[in-house]
Amino acid sequence: METSKKLTALFIALFVGAVLSPAEVLPTYALVNCRIVPVTSPVIEKGVVIIRDGLIESIGAIGKIKIPEDAEVIEAEGMTAFPGLILAHTSLFLELPKEERPVPGEARMPSEPQPEKKVQNPGLRAFNLLKPKKTTIDGYHRIGITTVLVAPEAGIFAGQSVLLNLNGEKPEAMVVKNPVALHINFVTERNSYPSSLMGTVAFLKQSFLDAEYYSSYQSHLARLQKGMKRPEYNPFLEAIIPYVIEKKPIVFTCGNQEDIKRALRLQDEFKLNAFLSGANEAWRVADLLKKAQVPLLVSLDFRPPLSSEYSQRGEEERKKAEKDIYPANPQALSKAGLKFALTSSGLIDPSSFQKNVREAIKAGLPQEEALKALTITPAQFLGVDSVLGSLEPGKIANLILANGEIFGEKTEVEKVFVDGVLFPIEKKAAEAKPTAADIAGTWKATVRTPMGEMEMTMELEQEGSQVKGFMSSQMGKWEIKDGILSGAELTFTLAATIMGETMEMAFSGKTEKDTIEGTISSAMGNAEFRATRIPKAME
Amino acid sequence: MKEADMNKKVLAFFLGTIITIIPCFSAGGNLLIKNGTILTVTKGSLPKGDILIVGGVIRQIGENIEAPEGVRVIDASGKYVIPGIIDSHTHIALSGTNEMGEAITPEVNMSEVIQAEDLSIFTALSGGVTMVHTMHGSGNPIGGQNITLKMKWGRPAEELIVPQAYKTLKFALGENPKQASRPAFGGGSQRYPASRMGVNAIIRKKLLEAKNYMLQWERYLEAKKSKNPPKTLFPPRKDLRLEALAELLRGNLLARCHSYRADESLEFIDLSKEFGFKIACFEHIPEAFKITRELRREGIGISVFLDNWAYKVEASEGIAYSAAYCTRNGVLVSINSDGGERIRRLFNDAGKAMKYGGLTEEEALKLITINPAIQLGVEKIAGSLEVGKHGDVAVFNEHPLSAYTRCEMTIVEGDVYFDRNQYLKEREDAEKRGKDMKKPGGEK
Repeated sequence: METSKKLTALFIALFVGAVLSPAEVLPTYALVNCRIVPVTSPVIEKGVVIIRDGLIESIGAIGKIKIPEDAEVIEAEGMTAFPGLILAHTSLFLELPKEERPVPGEARMPSEPQPEKKVQNPGLRAFNLLKPKKTTIDGYHRIGITTVLVAPEAGIFAGQSVLLNLNGEKPEAMVVKNPVALHINFVTERNSYPSSLMGTVAFLKQSFLDAEYYSSYQSHLARLQKGMKRPEYNPFLEAIIPYVIEKKPIVFTCGNQEDIKRALRLQDEFKLNAFLSGANEAWRVADLLKKAQVPLLVSLDFRPPLSSEYSQRGEEERKKAEKDIYPANPQALSKAGLKFALTSSGLIDPSSFQKNVREAIKAGLPQEEALKALTITPAQFLGVDSVLGSLEPGKIANLILANGEIFGEKTEVEKVFVDGVLFPIEKKAAEAKPTAADIAGTWKATVRTPMGEMEMTMELEQEGSQVKGFMSSQMGKWEIKDGILSGAELTFTLAATIMGETMEMAFSGKTEKDTIEGTISSAMGNAEFRATRIPKAME
Repeated sequence: MKEADMNKKVLAFFLGTIITIIPCFSAGGNLLIKNGTILTVTKGSLPKGDILIVGGVIRQIGENIEAPEGVRVIDASGKYVIPGIIDSHTHIALSGTNEMGEAITPEVNMSEVIQAEDLSIFTALSGGVTMVHTMHGSGNPIGGQNITLKMKWGRPAEELIVPQAYKTLKFALGENPKQASRPAFGGGSQRYPASRMGVNAIIRKKLLEAKNYMLQWERYLEAKKSKNPPKTLFPPRKDLRLEALAELLRGNLLARCHSYRADESLEFIDLSKEFGFKIACFEHIPEAFKITRELRREGIGISVFLDNWAYKVEASEGIAYSAAYCTRNGVLVSINSDGGERIRRLFNDAGKAMKYGGLTEEEALKLITINPAIQLGVEKIAGSLEVGKHGDVAVFNEHPLSAYTRCEMTIVEGDVYFDRNQYLKEREDAEKRGKDMKKPGGEK
């Protein structure tokens, strides 16, 4: 009898536990004697924060807050508490199914025009692709980031994002909000419509029109109840209707100032709730943005877009712009009175994020503005400012303890709380870098542009993550610059001089043992790049 | 596709130019050009005259004009002053030229992809060009909607657009749409149509669809106006592709048709009559001299290369005399660049029309000024030096049709956008700076 009761109780406990919450009860913490920067209220020079059950229970000056008896007291003298930082656009943890490529030479001669290929997937949810990794999370904790918006990256309609707290590796427990936004890129399709930027704009417009039509037809039908044919079920339109009709946020990734204008034109025409991401040329169209009042998720990537005059003027001017002009984007927006969040999108690793925040501050962005752009502002944009983005009683206990000003060069984050869970940071641990693949050697490369194909030879030298070498073809031999291999991700730039004229190109792609695949982009557009290793014996 | 072989196309994809960027010398559109030999194109010439531009518009042309206070004066003594050159057919200042994903794409609009930072704008200015009609490529039987731009280098994209110009739609016949997306050219699979008859058929088929689409809308709007419209009445789906073709059929868009052979051009004229749309211009058309009577009768212009032919089979019958011959036979002819290279020497091409076919100086100049202006529907604001027109002006050191001439200064709406002396100085400075730089691919 006793045993069976116990078993029942155990079953109930297990069942309820599984459904409602993690079985573990979190300890209550009292952070004492720390300086507190709540962001939305004045700094407390010496204060206390009580964290209970994943939330901030209370906060205040020392002596004014009673330390609960059950609290684990953390002596934080000399440390500063900040809200956990929020990155409002990343592609962390996403594992995408491998893209299928058409087999070359598999030519068909259809007797009819081919139907439009819809390879777009606005219904794709980032949540369903999450594979969180501890090493990545540790890396983000080390620089104070506790919350990330994760968005699918590929395609015009990339899919829908999810907002995660970096509280472990269980996706279900990490979700703060899902889905958050629909993500749209001004990119093109390979070998199918739309294959050009102007085609992409037309395709977006037609898709929005179709969503409006589909939705109004259905409501008309619902009013009449009968007498009209039901429309064919359309999962593509079903997926975008909440964003086009119900005006949930649509994030447009904007690579240059013209993308920003394109997004604003679409927003205006279809009355969308548009967010602009990337936008590192926002300073060039600040007046337009002031009128539009759209949320800006500004990237800390300071590389001038290839279309910009700075890139076109040659390597010297491009580097100068990257160093002197583009880091001033955030301060220019701040001066213009525009509200923006800062993101790391486009950056290779978390360490460049910190470095670039400092550069933006050096270029004139006030430190408090930088902090807001990584805390309360993204929380407001994403509609979670009632629970995130500042240190206030009742909010989620996402908090970091650092030994100085958050963006200080020598500052180190010592403790991170996410959803009230304490993550101690190991001091001076060697930065876990993924072991780079070995790509040194000679490669045969094919560059495929919309105009045709070109064969090239690529010689690569490698020193850890640094990659050097040359690309050569009938038209010349060009040096590979800024080559970085991060895990399997290879990026480099190339200044190709053909008949005395120079063109800047940027490569990014993935390496495998004997193949490198990716995209080369230039002012003229994108080209597909594939290389295979030439075995040593054949060289 | 442009007129070049495959290698050049691939090469062009990567090609850029080393440049110096000259900021616009904005004088608020006020300028007095003094003592130049003025070739107005439409109103004769003045051996020594002045042009006063105020607020971007030509206010006065004559002798001994006094500069109003604060207006910059340019001394053009010994120089030739002509209207800004107009290029009726090019593909510069765009992010992308062809939408190759489908064969019929009139819904795409070049105005969405203006690339105001394209160096070709500067190249164009260096050749005295102030306005271009920049177009969808010729990969599709029906391409996209084109756009007319002023070469305001350094200004935002939207300020380049010429709102007065005709709205035009690109068509293409012959080899380019036929061979587009052939597997050998890097496309995944062969696309319909793959023959000349297919090109004609797909255009007709799509225009029939557009007519049907217009009819559906008409019926709907009529039913809506009726006293008791049925409750189930619902508008047809808005289709941007057919909407664009409907605009063509309503006469709000004009056809600009890439066409090489005389036979297919005549077929296209038949098609325009069958459906009632207007052809503004045939593009390239090396065989134009064979059908001048039809072109004149239909009021269709031609936009051509002057002495470039036999670069492919369908261009084999081209002749350098075509531009002059067609001009003398009453066809409205312009000379085009088709891209960012020829655009800097259109005046040389115009000069060749005097050698091949004996056009007069004025007739030759018209090929790159007032004629393209008429083709683009901007002859009221550009194409000649007349009071009331925009202050778009090019200054040459010698007669613009001389083989030894070069463009010294290019002015758009009274602002100097290209100044050769200033450019040379900047280039010198850049060279000095460049000496300290490491050479690409060289020793470190």
